[in-house]
Amino acid sequence: MYLPRFMIERPESPEEAATLLKVRKNSHLVAGGTELFPRMKYGLCSPEIIISLKGSRVSAPQITPEGMLVLDAKMSLTAVNASPEIVEKAPLLAMAAGRVATREIRNMGTLGGNLCQETRCLYFNQKHTFQFREPCFKRGGEACYFIPKGNRCWAVFMSDLAPALFCLDASVNIVGSGGVRQIEIHELYTHDPLKPISLKPDEIITKIIIPKNEGPSGSGFAKFTMRGGMEFAGVNVGVFVETENDLRTCKEAKVAVGAVSGGPQRASAVEAFLKNKGLTDDVIHAASREIPENLKIVPHHGYSKGYLTECLKSQAKTALTDATNAIIGAT
Amino acid sequence: MFTNQKQLLELSINGESYELAAACQETLLEVLRNRLGLTGTKEGCGTGECGSCTVLLEGEPVLACLLLAVDCENKRIETIEGQSLEGIMTPVQEAFLEKGAVQCGFCTPGMVMASTALLKRNPDPGREDIMESLEGHLCRCTGYNKIMESVQHAAKSYPEKK
Repeated sequence: MYLPRFMIERPESPEEAATLLKVRKNSHLVAGGTELFPRMKYGLCSPEIIISLKGSRVSAPQITPEGMLVLDAKMSLTAVNASPEIVEKAPLLAMAAGRVATREIRNMGTLGGNLCQETRCLYFNQKHTFQFREPCFKRGGEACYFIPKGNRCWAVFMSDLAPALFCLDASVNIVGSGGVRQIEIHELYTHDPLKPISLKPDEIITKIIIPKNEGPSGSGFAKFTMRGGMEFAGVNVGVFVETENDLRTCKEAKVAVGAVSGGPQRASAVEAFLKNKGLTDDVIHAASREIPENLKIVPHHGYSKGYLTECLKSQAKTALTDATNAIIGAT
Repeated sequence: MFTNQKQLLELSINGESYELAAACQETLLEVLRNRLGLTGTKEGCGTGECGSCTVLLEGEPVLACLLLAVDCENKRIETIEGQSLEGIMTPVQEAFLEKGAVQCGFCTPGMVMASTALLKRNPDPGREDIMESLEGHLCRCTGYNKIMESVQHAAKSYPEKK
């Protein structure tokens, strides 16, 4: 399969890239390219100008005097997985980065790119030369092949790192042609399958900032796929648990679920359930039963809603158990 | 709008330097196969799912079908053609032969490159490590068992043969 024709611009700085995105019509930003290039090969988008961040310098993770972890959005996923600073300060993010796709993809894909990927659908991410030719909502049409009577797009946002960063209360630094701004990670997602990311067309994520966490804490990440790293997540769960000094009583739990709707979601029911409870096996089991409460679950890629709900419960149990074990193991 | 913008490139592939003019949209895989005749690297899916186009960029496995050739300048590229030296195969290649891990052979170049990178990174990998390194590689013939065996076998023979 061949890529459509395009030209490449290589900006020196994020500011220059933002200006280029604004000035050049029909341009697209690319970092790793592992998500954009397959879409271009399928003919789903054909930007005339690619603004490539490849080859620009990637800064190492920094820890500010206040203890915050500042990450360059251009870090490769392998680097995120292996970086000693991230493993120490935000093990959940390192764990999640290690579960994204395959080693080859992780070597190419970047942290910012994973957060800004498009929503996916079985009927969208393919070639449309001989079937499903009538454009669906995602291709600017007025039809949905997946749920024809749904009258809207049901594509799913499948980033693995987004739920992890939701649990860590991260924020992102954005450079645009209008200046720099910082937003919380949850403000980045619109939950609209047609435009999942709230960035303006001329904005770029430059940094990811993870606040300091004090006190004993543990994290777990679980992801369900049928074929290991070869496909996107059916469902993924990130868990970050803070405990009292007795290492048993949950002070605060943060649970985020991805890949089941148009954006990552916080599982508020479980978070409320776990607060001030002792983290025993029974409590974890009961908590994982609670997880589908208040969550929007969309069937996708051949998994029914009922199947995904059950899957989510078992994955949540795995992640919560891992988080609890990490706290106890840390003593 | 489209001027057929081409760029003069100097690629270092298997220790040899190649100079060519490539269009922006040409992937490393197209350049390797169509321009340089290095057809050992295979195109399977073309969208990063099957792993048969794996090459090593600066020693790390990457997918040549999703990598633009213009992004590979001044970087060390290794393909399957550069593995054997004057007809003497590497321990990984020999183990693949010995253990019968090659049937139709389409996935083999990618598998060999990924295994080579793994053994350089970790000369004594466990079963889990091998599975993690090869999870992005599809093989429809062998059922993977023989491939696993051959990587384990190569790991055993790696130090003495090197």
